[in-house]
Amino acid sequence: MKRNVLVSIVAMAAITVAANAGTISGKVSGVAGESVVYVEAVAGKTFPAPTQEPVMDQKGLMFQPHILAVQQGTTVQFLNSDSVAHNVFWISVGGNKKLGHNLGTWPKGDKRPFKFDSPGAVPLLCNVHPEMSGYVVVSPTPYFATTDKSGDYKIENVPDGSYTVTAWHEGAKNQSKPVTVSGDTKADFTLSK
Amino acid sequence: MPVHQGRSMFLVVVGLFCCLLFSTSSQAIPAFSRQYGTSCSTCHVDFPKLNDFGKAFKDAGFKFPKDDETFIKIPPVMLGAPAQAELWPHTIFPGTIPGLPPIGLRFNTFFQVVSANRNNFNLQHPGDPTMQPFIPRTDFQPGLFSIFMAGNMGSDIAFWVDDDISVGGANSNGGLGDGYLKFVNLGRFLKLPTDALSFRVGQFELDLPFSQARSWNLSGWDIYDEANIGVLNGLSPQQNVNNGFAFSSAAQGVEFSGGHQYRGYHYSLAIVNQNTGGTPGSGTNVPPIVGFVSDSNFKDLYGRFSYRFNLERDPASRNEIQAAGASGPRDHTYLVLGTYYFYGRSVQRFSGAESNGTTPTVISAREPFYRVGGDFSFNYRTFNLFGLYMAGHDQNLLPFTPSGGTLPTGFIGARAATFSGGFLEADYLALPWVMAIMRWDVVKSTADQINAIGADINAPPPSSFFSPFSATRNRFTPGIQFLVHANIKTSFEYQIRPQQIVYDPSTGKALTSPFRTNSAVAGLEFVY
Repeated sequence: MKRNVLVSIVAMAAITVAANAGTISGKVSGVAGESVVYVEAVAGKTFPAPTQEPVMDQKGLMFQPHILAVQQGTTVQFLNSDSVAHNVFWISVGGNKKLGHNLGTWPKGDKRPFKFDSPGAVPLLCNVHPEMSGYVVVSPTPYFATTDKSGDYKIENVPDGSYTVTAWHEGAKNQSKPVTVSGDTKADFTLSK
Repeated sequence: MPVHQGRSMFLVVVGLFCCLLFSTSSQAIPAFSRQYGTSCSTCHVDFPKLNDFGKAFKDAGFKFPKDDETFIKIPPVMLGAPAQAELWPHTIFPGTIPGLPPIGLRFNTFFQVVSANRNNFNLQHPGDPTMQPFIPRTDFQPGLFSIFMAGNMGSDIAFWVDDDISVGGANSNGGLGDGYLKFVNLGRFLKLPTDALSFRVGQFELDLPFSQARSWNLSGWDIYDEANIGVLNGLSPQQNVNNGFAFSSAAQGVEFSGGHQYRGYHYSLAIVNQNTGGTPGSGTNVPPIVGFVSDSNFKDLYGRFSYRFNLERDPASRNEIQAAGASGPRDHTYLVLGTYYFYGRSVQRFSGAESNGTTPTVISAREPFYRVGGDFSFNYRTFNLFGLYMAGHDQNLLPFTPSGGTLPTGFIGARAATFSGGFLEADYLALPWVMAIMRWDVVKSTADQINAIGADINAPPPSSFFSPFSATRNRFTPGIQFLVHANIKTSFEYQIRPQQIVYDPSTGKALTSPFRTNSAVAGLEFVY
């Protein structure tokens, strides 16, 4: 009996949230390729860290995927699939050079985890293959999306309210704008390098 | 510092910065970079100096040592489906060629400043403009423009061809550097350990401990250029050695090799043409298709063995191509010990007479010679100390003319013509793009003595231009190199040369005090 009541309460809560959640969609233009759009931190609100641990692979002398968007607090597994030695390091997180870090070297097939506690773009590099480049983009909220190659994106399940939304693209200046979400909301960005 | 030296340094520094200033940005990359989509620094410390991965890449036949196909960004062109191999020998064995022409180009140019005492030897011939070579204080020097191609044709067959299209300026002839095919890991057919046996055929630089053809220094190591050439000049002892062979010479022949340059053992055994006179030819009754490079039936032999001790504490890392450093892969801490031996015969031919003393004939002296030595290389992080010692020994047969005769009828033995020397060099990679170099080259040669270099001040023979005062020629060469990009390099070196002295050829009196003609060289080089 107790269990049924609990399930009902959770279901009602979920329906309520869904009823008040919308989407932010739009297009990032002015640049070519994938971008990341995310909702900036909401004052007074925290979000639990995801339990999923996405993988950033080093394969064929490339970071794959080239851009990985994650929520703040996510642990990323760095995998080496190559039969050559690599390392992974970054000189900053969100431009803050104090957060630079070097994960070192590990053999083929092994992974090394790292938890990203600070938001911002993390430019990944390898010190023996200087042409290798990848990004982890750490969103302060769970509301983020990666655009397709034409620049279209859609962030779902964003509770109604007022937010600051930021678009990030490799090598371009970030653009932020206030967005009031009420149901399906549009927000386009034009970035420049 | 004397005023003139200070001015020299200023000019060199200005030249160096001009090189940096005017070097244009280049995104272009040579053949392997294109094929694998990776930077030059994947294989090179300071091109063309190889890092551990570059050595493994070369050992494997210009391939990634493992899973090569997963790294190639431009798929190779198939010269037959792999399944065709099942049909062999009833079909041509399938191979591949690189998807893009594997062509790289290299250009370098120099700026040189020479000491103010550079024209001291003109004192020997006062008032005679024909005997006074004028050496300018400063000089811009075109270096070379060369094309090089390398890659792998599948089935572990590697190839390399490099040719200097022009040397020393426009329309100046260059020549073939190396051109060979290498059949890598042939030992697999004999069930030998991996890479225990490879075979190379063509024209190639001998498997030297440190490559002169692909040296990163502006000037080559002196001992590699040391030929053994004496003269019959009436002084004692006499030398009849005219051996033009030098280790920097390209050799034509075949080579068996095995092992690795990045760990454990490595050996090579080459059988190459003999040509000590530098005069290839072709008889009138021989089809002159390619002529002949050899000047003897005898083939020279070269052998080398080295062992590299990787000194990493972590045993797993010790056996990998690169060491797993705390902040990323890096070259191993290692010690290489090696030895080498070259055996050949130097052929000298003279107009002589048969034993009757009158019937003309050609008399030939076949003078065995050898070069032997050892080498080491120690590397710790970004510091590399290495060196080489070489001893050269040529049998010395003097033409013998019987008393009363006018032509030699044979040869008699004499004291061997020898030399020894080597080099010691320290390279320190201060930054990934800045390498500081200190070198010491030394050559001690009996030919220098007998050729009147370093002669008694009271009985001097005519002295050649730039000849050193002492028979032991020391050269100290500090240098520094900057990578502007991974494929553009500016280099600077200051050559502190051996002492010289100028004699009056008629009176034998010294015209100068001992002096050094030092030079500073700045170079700009790029590959693309």
